[in-house]
Amino acid sequence: MRTTILLVFLTLRAILRDRVLHMLFGASLFILLLVPAFSLFSMRQVQELSITLSLSILSFILLVSAILLGASSIWRDIEGRYTATVLGLPIPRSSFVLGKFLGIAAFLSLCSLVLGIISGAVIFFSASQYPAQQPIVWGNLASAVFFNGCKYILLSAIALLLSAISTSFFLPIFGTIAIFLAGAASQDVMEYLSGDTPLQVSAISKAVIKTLYYLLPNFSAFDLNVYAIYSLPLPLSGLVSIFLYFLTYTTIILCLAAWSFGRRELS
Amino acid sequence: MKVKALSLIFFLLLAYGLNVSYLARYMGERPAAIKLGYIPSAGALKLISADQRFTIAEWNVLRVLLYFGSLIEKRKNNISIPPEYYNMFKTIQTAVELDPYNMDAYYFAQAAFTWELGHAVDVNGLLDHGMRFRTWDYYLPYFAGFNAAYFLKKPQVAAIYFQRAAELSGNPLFANLAARYLYETDQTRIAIPFLIMMIEKSTDKNEKALYTTRLEALMAAQKIVDGVEQFEKKYDRKPLTLEELVTAHLLSEIPTDPYGGIFYLDDKGKVQTTSKLAPFNAVQKNIPLTNP
Repeated sequence: MRTTILLVFLTLRAILRDRVLHMLFGASLFILLLVPAFSLFSMRQVQELSITLSLSILSFILLVSAILLGASSIWRDIEGRYTATVLGLPIPRSSFVLGKFLGIAAFLSLCSLVLGIISGAVIFFSASQYPAQQPIVWGNLASAVFFNGCKYILLSAIALLLSAISTSFFLPIFGTIAIFLAGAASQDVMEYLSGDTPLQVSAISKAVIKTLYYLLPNFSAFDLNVYAIYSLPLPLSGLVSIFLYFLTYTTIILCLAAWSFGRRELS
Repeated sequence: MKVKALSLIFFLLLAYGLNVSYLARYMGERPAAIKLGYIPSAGALKLISADQRFTIAEWNVLRVLLYFGSLIEKRKNNISIPPEYYNMFKTIQTAVELDPYNMDAYYFAQAAFTWELGHAVDVNGLLDHGMRFRTWDYYLPYFAGFNAAYFLKKPQVAAIYFQRAAELSGNPLFANLAARYLYETDQTRIAIPFLIMMIEKSTDKNEKALYTTRLEALMAAQKIVDGVEQFEKKYDRKPLTLEELVTAHLLSEIPTDPYGGIFYLDDKGKVQTTSKLAPFNAVQKNIPLTNP
């Protein structure tokens, strides 16, 4: 346990020293500060546009961070012989994977918190200039930021799994992006299949799509932006279900990552 | 070495300074390609946009607003470019499919596609879509009610919308509007208070300008209609020309049409204008929005 905690701190420290992430964070901060000015382009929903843009920037930064950190972790550690040094010590491989993941998750959480607070301030400023018909529900905004964080922590776990399997950056980077896009679209595809005017596809295609729908992570479940932007009533039972889904899916992915890394030949 | 480097930097800055003013002038003067262009289907955008669909929806609405705004700016300088109305409507439709709560999209559709193009049916379809989501917003049924009464001449349908607007706003004025629209035969009198309200609520300068010009035109037409009514009372006949109203001292002068047309009386004695109150081109009226 102590070694895992130590690995978490080591990973987090390494991430916090990453200059690429510094630049990314600086750029996002700069764009966030421009949100009140950009929001003025809207005719009648300045407040809503400021929330949309803030959440959009937050989501984009978390996406890039999750892919960069998750997909470039284990295979790069192997290539840089970092694993040979660390795993030479009496540290189980599963602890190594867990430590790496928790370090990345801690960074993504920290990022969500900091950018979430800044977004809140920016939105408050915009809304005070042009109040909307519906007042801001801060709880909805906090929930949207929280579940955005959960989504990208889950994505980083997937990136880590692909990174544990792969020997180069191709599979982790492009595989994570592909899974992200497929997972974000799966709900819409299912709705097209079972909507009022269902798509005409063969039974086999339908079965494949259904299987993928249950296998792929449902990222659209984490998207609470509409509740935050338009102050709609948030269904609490749904939130509990999403959080449980996040916990179980992430745990399964981590187990797979630890198992595959445990079976990997390390020179 | 240091002197050489400083000289190089100085030379580069000088070259940049000399060139940038010319470039800025060239960019300002070159003919702008004002084009809205094609937009992919809402389904395709939904699939690829992931959690950025609200930003994409708003971006598309803003594209239409900026595009239409630039055409209005051009028109002020007497450069009339026919708007891509089909692409504009398609973009707005796509935006509300991505974000069915987007207020900018509904308000813009009301402003741009009813008065100018006579597409109240399509706009009311869009407003009906919005009402399913923006369940608290009384403006959408109010707009739909106005369109039904003023453009589509369906006061019974308007009454249903106004009833809904009255329930949502808690303002009985909306319920009374339906009854008033049933008996009011003078359409200009109906439109003027609606336009005044739209101007008061508008924050976009181009939309405000659009409504203000329309209001000025309708007020000018109303002034002539009032003069014609007074003339009929006084002389027990309809005037043959507008000049007769000026001669009879009922109008100090013939009001000017802000759309560039000339007011006249038709065979039935109704006030008309050669511009047909169309800001861009009268031919644009009733072009199809649902099929290119």
